[in-house]
Amino acid sequence: MARIIPLLLIISVLLSSCRSCNQDQDANKEFDIPDELMNDEQPLPVSSEVIDEIVQNVSSPVETAALIKGLKVPFNKDYMASTNSAKNMNTSFQKALGLGIYGADLGYLNMYEKTTVVIDYISTVKDLADGIQVGQFFDFNTLRRIATNKENLDSLMLISQQSFNRIDSYLRETNRASLSVVIIAGVWLEGLYLSTRVAQDANHPRINETIGEQKVIMGTLMALLDNYKRDPNIATLISDFEEIKDLYKDVTITYEIGGEPTPVVKDGVLTFVQNDVQTIKMSDETLKAIITKVQTLRNKFIS
Amino acid sequence: MKKTYFILLLTFILSGAYSIAFAQSEDDLVEICGMIAQDATYLKDFKVRLDAGNPPPVQRFSVILKKGIKYRFSVCNSKDYEGKVVLQLLDNNRLLATTHVVASGQDYPSIDYVCTKTGAYHLFFNFKDGKPGLAVGLLSLVETI
Repeated sequence: MARIIPLLLIISVLLSSCRSCNQDQDANKEFDIPDELMNDEQPLPVSSEVIDEIVQNVSSPVETAALIKGLKVPFNKDYMASTNSAKNMNTSFQKALGLGIYGADLGYLNMYEKTTVVIDYISTVKDLADGIQVGQFFDFNTLRRIATNKENLDSLMLISQQSFNRIDSYLRETNRASLSVVIIAGVWLEGLYLSTRVAQDANHPRINETIGEQKVIMGTLMALLDNYKRDPNIATLISDFEEIKDLYKDVTITYEIGGEPTPVVKDGVLTFVQNDVQTIKMSDETLKAIITKVQTLRNKFIS
Repeated sequence: MKKTYFILLLTFILSGAYSIAFAQSEDDLVEICGMIAQDATYLKDFKVRLDAGNPPPVQRFSVILKKGIKYRFSVCNSKDYEGKVVLQLLDNNRLLATTHVVASGQDYPSIDYVCTKTGAYHLFFNFKDGKPGLAVGLLSLVETI
């Protein structure tokens, strides 16, 4: 009997393998394959490896917020998108774009440690994430607990950022990279919007430069979006962004390449200081035109 | 019967399943790396898993770094593999920063980089002597300059 059982097991495994072989031909009928994969006219999909290469932190809510805070510009709630607008976001495209916009605002709030307002934004982000089936990556309860108890606020930033990174990875792994790109576009637009508001109120040369240097980042973002231009919503978004891109044609960025970065030990950490110099030439008129265009476009999505 | 169970248990352990069950996960490494980065603000993690090879295989990522920000790059290795990771930051073909300084032979778990030019940069990860390895690199923000 002891010898027969393993033999039966081996036979059953072999039989089940053979059955799987026969079913492969009909696999398409049995599995839920995303529509875009069934469409012969779809653009050549960019592999996740290539997107990974391009997309890592194209736009980051944390960096923009850190730059703004670094200029000693006080927190302003009016800069942020009203969470009421999220109720009007019904399609996956709108929800993904909203996720990016409110995600950027969440980064801004976290940077200034505004825990009283943050819960409203965490809830909004969670709802939008649920709307595109990625809510499971957003640790809502932990974030709410940290914000409510004002405990370890660094964790608030960490978990928020990690949640967005996981959403991004998951969407790309599940062949929904187009939504991931739309989220990135939303983060970028809101980050730029926040910068334009600060530029109007603070008129600081560094924030003006931040707006000007978005020309570099916009080039990468447009390349990403372009791959999904057959999606009508993304095509419209590209068309909207083209209007901003056109204004950036009048922005000139030059670089003076310095020598190798100088390694120095600061506070016990090996620090490399880059010696390249970046210079941005942008007229006041161009800056004003970019500010107006960005704010109009962003408000269109938030209305 | 006891003998059969013993053989099954031994097979389980020798097959590596035991070590896998208790291996360090990539998420564990991200957490450890976060501690190495200390009080810097987390931005992104990079999971690196490479087989042995000669020349040492390389895993590459691209990031956009922004002018006026001091970034911190931290690395940590899985204790389950031999490989010790080396991170290099490049701008096109220029080596800008690394966690392994050839001149001194010293390895740093964390390095800072003061960025003066907004643009795309490349991160190259490899394991010393082409040994197989699992590691995590962490990008975090130290301060604005």
